[in-house]
Amino acid sequence: MRLTALTAVAAVALAACGGGGSSSTSTAGKDGGKLVIARAADALSMNKTTTFDNSSIYVFEQMMEPLFMVSEDGTKVEPWLATGYDVSSDKLTYTIHLREGVTFSNGSPMTAKDVKFSIDEDTKTGADGWGYINAAIDTVTATDDKTVTIKLKYAWAPILADLSLFSNAIIPDNYGGKTAEQFYEAPVGTGPFVWGEWKKGQSLTLNKNPKYWGSGKPHLDSVTWTVVPDANTRKLQLQGKQIDIDEFPDWSSFSALKSAPGITATAFPSTRIDYVTMNQKKTPLQDVHVRRAIAYALDRESMVKTVLYGNGQAADSLLSPGTPFYAKNPQAPSYDVATAKAEMAKSSTPQGFSTSISISSGDPNQGSVAQIMQSELKEIGIDLQIQQLDPTALRAARNAGNFTMLLGGWTMDIPDPDEWTSFAVDPDGGSHSAYTYYDNPDVIAINKKAQAETDDTKRAELYKELQEKTAADAWAAYLYYSPYAYAMQSSVKGFHVTPLGNYHLENVTK
Amino acid sequence: MSHRLRFVPGRLLQAVPVVFGVTIVVFFMVHLLPGNPALTLLGQTATPDRVAALNHQLGLDEPLWQQYGTFLRHLVTGDLGTSITYQQPVADLIVTALPVTLELVVFALVLALLISIPLAGLAATRPGRGRDLGVRAFTLVGQGMPQFWVGIMLLLLLAVRLGAFPVGGYGDTPGEHVYYLFLPSLTLAIALAPQVIRSLRASMISVLGSEYVGTARSKGAGGAALFRGHVLRNAAIPTVSIVGVNLGYLVGGSLVIEKVFAVPGLGSLMVNAIFSRDFPTIQAVSLVVALFVVVVGVLTDVAYTLLDPRVDLAVGGRP
Repeated sequence: MRLTALTAVAAVALAACGGGGSSSTSTAGKDGGKLVIARAADALSMNKTTTFDNSSIYVFEQMMEPLFMVSEDGTKVEPWLATGYDVSSDKLTYTIHLREGVTFSNGSPMTAKDVKFSIDEDTKTGADGWGYINAAIDTVTATDDKTVTIKLKYAWAPILADLSLFSNAIIPDNYGGKTAEQFYEAPVGTGPFVWGEWKKGQSLTLNKNPKYWGSGKPHLDSVTWTVVPDANTRKLQLQGKQIDIDEFPDWSSFSALKSAPGITATAFPSTRIDYVTMNQKKTPLQDVHVRRAIAYALDRESMVKTVLYGNGQAADSLLSPGTPFYAKNPQAPSYDVATAKAEMAKSSTPQGFSTSISISSGDPNQGSVAQIMQSELKEIGIDLQIQQLDPTALRAARNAGNFTMLLGGWTMDIPDPDEWTSFAVDPDGGSHSAYTYYDNPDVIAINKKAQAETDDTKRAELYKELQEKTAADAWAAYLYYSPYAYAMQSSVKGFHVTPLGNYHLENVTK
Repeated sequence: MSHRLRFVPGRLLQAVPVVFGVTIVVFFMVHLLPGNPALTLLGQTATPDRVAALNHQLGLDEPLWQQYGTFLRHLVTGDLGTSITYQQPVADLIVTALPVTLELVVFALVLALLISIPLAGLAATRPGRGRDLGVRAFTLVGQGMPQFWVGIMLLLLLAVRLGAFPVGGYGDTPGEHVYYLFLPSLTLAIALAPQVIRSLRASMISVLGSEYVGTARSKGAGGAALFRGHVLRNAAIPTVSIVGVNLGYLVGGSLVIEKVFAVPGLGSLMVNAIFSRDFPTIQAVSLVVALFVVVVGVLTDVAYTLLDPRVDLAVGGRP
């Protein structure tokens, strides 16, 4: 027995939106033109299943598209290469209907066979890629040309969000007869742009896909990402009209560019949360009162002011406001020295103690945060030493648990909290609860329940409880939510970044 | 080529153990750094199992001497290995990046000489006078300013304010390369020029006071002809070795400058490789830089021999 899920998603699906999704951004510009985006780092690889860096992801998302797409506000998924789905009453079988008239940029039509191949390909990369995201999938079957049936091992609420991840984007069956390696040297997909040229370390260009299924899109002839490591140089290039978009200017450049003529500097809401990782294997951080003392001693507002130049807000939950099921939590630790001192008095080390924080050398933000923490923790009798390591050495120390405190950050990849909560508070998530070694059976049980609960109202309740309990445990000390900084020529229209960080260049004009 | 350049092949052979030593030192130094490429490739959700699996796949769990042996074996067959981050032959990356850095360094050297020769001439012909003091002040300031700051100032003034040059990048055509590389080369030249000026000025002053210049003058030579024919050639000899030594430093300086000006050369390649622990790329780039320094050393001696007829490195040392 099947029943149609009449959720918001399905309602959008049945409304059969036009090509290119439901873009609400106005494209009041003209067609044509070459867009140039400057960024700090080059892409590494176009392999959608094994690549983790944003510089690569933002590029290949323009060529390869998933069945479902995160909405512009980041709160839900919308049909993209699919037009809708049905779900069985036991929540274990999803029947997905594919969009008609979609072709790959090589001219061959997209069918259910391609979809099955693409999702299976992702699942196979469990060890060195994004495969874990498909852990709940049992089988994918091409029922007929335009229908795909996905059977789950267990009820799994995030399944549509998982299918919206770039690693599940649709590519031609069997790589169109190539090896995986050959295919990813010049990937083929259904997206608005097609492979152009990659000068490693210098620039990567994609060209317009004239066969794109979204009517009248894309507007641009080509997009080029150039590699400009120095933030100051990117800022000057934007002012000199050499580039159209500066990706992630540092916050001081961003402030300067806000008032520059002919330039629009926009802070797009993100799902990023920055927090302090406290290693509970290190004494006295296993003491909840010590962790709470630290969490109450931090003046987040002043960090937002000095580090982010005011572009951000103090964090009160392990979920960011841009993540579905975020619940505002007035009980969460906030800056309150009296409470911090009271917690210290209740703790195993009322006299204070010495500890250390490991930060990434050459990261000015981490340097500022650590210095602010140092002076604030002194107030409550904690002597904080700052240890600088190069980024990779720091990762090695983090993964081995060779640190006392460090600064963590997380941005969501899918519009579902589970990807992060399972990593953050469930030691089985693979990384000892985001390297904090936090282990609360109560919290773990709530998280597991929320994964299987497909009723959104009940799920919201569970996540509210999870957010309250984790905040009370001070499993980490939340710092702030920061937006994505972008600065562009004012002539660029239709450029929008979702809270997950991805952007749709088919809507952009210049 | 004169018989006095017989020393060149032998000198190049002597460099083999030097380069070999460099590869050993670099190999073990980078492998002593904590962290491995898998950590940078897999993101923060990487489980220890996945990190271990990828390291195994990359052969990074073998004993170090074995890994070094593999590197050498490949090197002998002309294979520089495969970049871990880019998953493509390192040789390809170097073939793209090396010309960029060479252009930058050669261009910087040419600009440095264009700045230095007239200024040193100006200073040396009237030592102790106003123009000499002016030139000496310039050398002090030029050496005292940090390179990245000079670069940013040139960008602000010449690229942003005047719009005369692009703000960083490399361009696509040979003509564009020269245009794009002008400011970064000028930045390097400003750092190199003071040392060349000092050396040239000192040797010009001594040449101008020498007997043979007096003789040439009494025979009616003067002005530019005298300067080119007699003074510059003889004064250049000690400066050649100063320039040779500094070319090595210039490659080092280009690491910083390439970042400021977004120039996709060896410096950018190396810095990224170090951060991501891309061992094969680090190895290959340091090998190439070591070879570069050796070759520049030999070329310096060649220039010496050609400039000074009294030098014969094939039999003895320098005068």
